[in-house]
Amino acid sequence: MRFERIGREPDYSRYMDLKEGWLDRRIFSDADIYEEELYRIFARSWLFVAHESQIPKAGDFLTTHMGEDAVIVARQADGSIRVMLNSCPHRGNKVCFADAGNTRRFVCNYHGWAFDTAGDLKGMHEEYCYDNGDIDFKNHGLKNVAKVSSYKGLVFATFNGDAPSLEAWLGDFRWYLDMILDNEEGGTEFIGGCIKSVMSANWKFGVENFIGDAYHAGWTHDSGCRSMNDGMPFPPIDMEYSYHASVNGHGWEFGTEGVGDLVLLGRPKVMDYYNKIRPKMAERLGEMRSKIFGSVASASIFPNVSFLPGISTFRQWQPKGPMQFELKTWVIVNKNMPDDIKEEVTKGVMQTFGPGGTFEMDDGENWENCTTVNRGVVTRHERLHYRCGIGRQIEHDTLPGIVYRGQYNDANQRGFYQRWLDMMTHDEFGKMPTRPEPRLGNVAETRDLPGLFAL
Amino acid sequence: MLDRPLSPPPVEVIVAVTQALHCEARLLDNEDFDGWLAMLNEDICYRMELKSRRFRADRSPPLPVGPGVIFNEDLGRLKLRVDRLKSGFVWAEDPPNFIRRAISNVEVVARPAENEVRVHSVLIMHRNRIDGTTRVLTAARTDLWRGEGQAWLLAGRDIVLDHSVLPDSNLNAFF
Repeated sequence: MRFERIGREPDYSRYMDLKEGWLDRRIFSDADIYEEELYRIFARSWLFVAHESQIPKAGDFLTTHMGEDAVIVARQADGSIRVMLNSCPHRGNKVCFADAGNTRRFVCNYHGWAFDTAGDLKGMHEEYCYDNGDIDFKNHGLKNVAKVSSYKGLVFATFNGDAPSLEAWLGDFRWYLDMILDNEEGGTEFIGGCIKSVMSANWKFGVENFIGDAYHAGWTHDSGCRSMNDGMPFPPIDMEYSYHASVNGHGWEFGTEGVGDLVLLGRPKVMDYYNKIRPKMAERLGEMRSKIFGSVASASIFPNVSFLPGISTFRQWQPKGPMQFELKTWVIVNKNMPDDIKEEVTKGVMQTFGPGGTFEMDDGENWENCTTVNRGVVTRHERLHYRCGIGRQIEHDTLPGIVYRGQYNDANQRGFYQRWLDMMTHDEFGKMPTRPEPRLGNVAETRDLPGLFAL
Repeated sequence: MLDRPLSPPPVEVIVAVTQALHCEARLLDNEDFDGWLAMLNEDICYRMELKSRRFRADRSPPLPVGPGVIFNEDLGRLKLRVDRLKSGFVWAEDPPNFIRRAISNVEVVARPAENEVRVHSVLIMHRNRIDGTTRVLTAARTDLWRGEGQAWLLAGRDIVLDHSVLPDSNLNAFF
């Protein structure tokens, strides 16, 4: 399916030069560019919609957004998951205003049209008012998305029937994702519900902060770090054995010291837990990945999901206009953790990266003010600098993706905007370049690649 | 709750606790954080809950582990937050934001022990940020105040924000 807009067709390559390392500020506030992002990126990408653990039983549902389109994610009687527009085909009203729950029917408040959890129209108030031939029930259900798929607990959906498989979309990034999704038998779950907040900032500022911006932490979060850490500032970063890795716009920046983010979480019991399972993690994922997990690290999945492996905050930046997003955050834990460790993780996340967390509270205003200030009519024509570490690309035997040395780097941010540009400029999904050529190919399981285990 | 209902509550208790609530709000508005900490009991439990929108008929059980709490602090953690604010490294608060708290609907509802009272109140917080934006947050609070000598000290506070989506980028304030 194609989603096209009539109107101007700007040359988006004018908005950045990633080989030189600059961006045009207009991509953070321009209304036309934002509309085009909704069509070309959000209506065509695989988008995160839920964790399987949020809707374990038949009839469980939650409501969320894909781009600005409201959707319902519902568990079916056969265990499968359906994702459908949260909009009645009669006049368009939402059919569900709850955040989550369990139900057999979604009923529109306006005229009582009722749908089952697969989205099929089952009846309506005063059904007799429709004569034979007025309405075909089969064609007036809630519109289902084109594809739904899961990767190790994370449920994704896309409106794009031409999208590649989710495995191909994630590509070699699965090697990194498995560090948070599969570091222990039993996989992961979300616990404690979802916290939502609104920020007056462009959605890309959140994504790019998590995809690669370790650099901001030592300055922006100086006060938080000192208060959590007996007055000590952030320790210096090891620029030799820390990296940026970018795969098709997804990105993970990380050290290999294994403990940095676990220290920041500030819950010693959680540190003990991971130290205990680390040998098993090494057997499961290889030595390298067991050393990356727990290090100072942050990551984003293109286009709008981010998380901190080790600190266990998981989040989505939902676009709400060029200069606003809704941030949804969850806590992700290993399913097989003892309850007291899960509780400790939850406390740690809220104390660091909840909306009242000692780190989180420093971020929002930076992104808000970057957005509003960039909009100034003169200011918007000035370039932004994204050149940090531009000469540090390396080939690495173990690490997949486009790899740069040194955690303080703009490399993953450049990778993210390269993918943004690829999607904004390519009409056909299949013709978009793969960056880089994948190593994993079609293997189903990153553990099955012994070659990638070597240090 | 095992609280014995209070009817009518002693007037001197209502006056003293209401005064304490107003005094607390003024200290916080003036960023006198040490003065505020001095009003807290050593075993204070300071919590803010998370709300989600559910259907009225939804009888789903409470979340099993770590129910959604935004704040779940003891005195040590609150001191740590104060230390952060006083550290001189909180760029987002320099120049300072202006915060004004209005406390209302004060109701002394129970006396769990001879020197303790349970108190409901409503908080309206007006925040004017360094970039000029203004946000208004409202919350319901249920407190436990404990009489210690001449003073009433805050021993517990459950805060419920009236927002399913926080209308602000952070909750960098005491409620």
